[in-house]
Amino acid sequence: MEINNLHKSAGVIENRGAGWKIIILLFTLIFIFIFSFALGRYPVPPGQLLQVLASQIITMEPTWNVTVETVIFQVRLPRILAAILVGAALSTAGAAYQGMFKNPLVSPDILGASAGAGFGAALGIYFSFSMVGIQLMAFVGGLLAVGLTYGISIRIRHDPMLALVLSGVMIGSLFTAAISCIKYIADPYDKLPAITFWLMGSLASITSRDVYMVLIPIILGGLLLYLLRWRLNVLAMGEEEAQVLGINTRAMKTIVIICCTLMTAASVSISGLIGWVGLVIPHLARMIVGPNYQVLLPASILLGGAYLLLVDDLARLIASMEIPLGILTALIGVPFFLYLLLNSKWGWK
Amino acid sequence: MELAIRNLSCGYGKRRVVDSISLSINAGEVIGLLGANGCGKTTLIKTILGLLPFLGGEVLLEGKNIQYWTSAQIARVVGYIPQMHTPPFPFQVLDVVLMGRTAHIKPFASPSLKDVKIAEQALEMLDITYLRDRIYTEISGGERQLVLIARALTQEPKILIMDEPTASLDFGNQIKVLSHVKQLAGLNIAVLMSCHFPEHAFLYTNRVVLLNEGRILHSGTPDETITPERLKKLYGVDVDIITVKNRMNQELQVCVPSRSLAAEDKYYQSMERRNQYALA
Repeated sequence: MEINNLHKSAGVIENRGAGWKIIILLFTLIFIFIFSFALGRYPVPPGQLLQVLASQIITMEPTWNVTVETVIFQVRLPRILAAILVGAALSTAGAAYQGMFKNPLVSPDILGASAGAGFGAALGIYFSFSMVGIQLMAFVGGLLAVGLTYGISIRIRHDPMLALVLSGVMIGSLFTAAISCIKYIADPYDKLPAITFWLMGSLASITSRDVYMVLIPIILGGLLLYLLRWRLNVLAMGEEEAQVLGINTRAMKTIVIICCTLMTAASVSISGLIGWVGLVIPHLARMIVGPNYQVLLPASILLGGAYLLLVDDLARLIASMEIPLGILTALIGVPFFLYLLLNSKWGWK
Repeated sequence: MELAIRNLSCGYGKRRVVDSISLSINAGEVIGLLGANGCGKTTLIKTILGLLPFLGGEVLLEGKNIQYWTSAQIARVVGYIPQMHTPPFPFQVLDVVLMGRTAHIKPFASPSLKDVKIAEQALEMLDITYLRDRIYTEISGGERQLVLIARALTQEPKILIMDEPTASLDFGNQIKVLSHVKQLAGLNIAVLMSCHFPEHAFLYTNRVVLLNEGRILHSGTPDETITPERLKKLYGVDVDIITVKNRMNQELQVCVPSRSLAAEDKYYQSMERRNQYALA
């Protein structure tokens, strides 16, 4: 019955012409995914790449150097997967928040998730924690900041959405100040650069263990949001209207915040601060498939993954040294966003 | 009896805006709620919809107290048509109408083809099938209001509540939207509508409730309830109620100000002219 319904509603979407757009986005992502394996300091010819990838599925006599396999599966695969995961998570969280706050200028760090994660990581680096320790600190810091924001906002007896945004901005500034504080007292030859580089964002030292670690929170949050996709539509009409249409807005808001925070904090914990993806990509997705979350969420996932993967490829290739990802996402994202604003139909009113 | 309100008090926090009101609405009836800005119309409506907590009294739907109902339970019985508004995202009209089905579908599910059929029927009933694939933010205000009525109909409600559904609509769109209200009552739905023009109450309601400073001043049929004296008390202005006939020879009540500034202007102008002649 449920599957039948899903099938039918999928049919509804396809009738409106968004289905093929999703399929094109999917193939774009797959294309960039395969292409990304060939890119990098250690050259892998396309023919050899396809052979190595195919050998994972069918048995084949290896005609290539063992190093090629190591480069592809130990170095590039985790990094490629991490880029897709982080990009998809940030843009999905951004899309959900923009609807919930009825505001297209909202990004996933609106409630302080990034600032909190940054604080956690800075603290971890300051106390010379291991890589896993730093990541855990970042994740917990993100959850803590959003928890504080939420806890404060429900005690404010005014417009609940405004209360949430305001407390988010406050808590965000507080944690940003705390980061500065740690940077100020950190050892300037050792800890300070580490903290600064972490905050700029990078996927350079990603291992497959990192990918496994964030897989669960990101997929959990994303899946729950996807299941609630119809209700996200209704919530975007405004809190009061959503409640009158039969949604328990308080519970719904809490679930959306939990999902987005899990996804954002997990992403930031392995990648550092990466801005603009969560703000720009949902807009781009909305311009392509419209505001209906039934197609907007899949489009945001695919576009976000493809975009960050592409930017990370550039970060690897442009210069002889790695360029921090957070710098590139802004350098590419801002002009691109401005171009969209100036040249196309807005995705919102 | 569909909706019964008994000694209901409502307001914000501890501040009582509406004080111990009782009224009942039956299926097929259109009730108009009249009163000045700030008299408690919107507060009353929000309380019935479950958006504000009860400060006292009860609201009974078919004899059942709705105070602790979930929003989904209320939405399956009560449809709401808000004042004209523009959402920030350009949803398709069909999607907006389908949102009315939310209370009938499971939390993790999306509307099915059956829901789409119900939405299309609602569009058809309001003669706006041509809007189905248009963008909600790009259609006119009157059309948007009709779409919201269609959305409320897909909730399959027993009661429809409208909060000044024609506020900020132009003259023609006001008449177009309101002419559908009687049609809704014909579907055996009880309609509670707050109006900002007494004339609308004459034209489109069976019964009016005059709300003054949070209390019911009077209620009954429009003809016997809306009088110049009560309008003076409600709105603080002198109004004459005049019966006129339209070109189809139907009798209508209109409310006009007792003092016409335009006529006075003309009088002064003629006086001025006479003075000028006298000087010449």
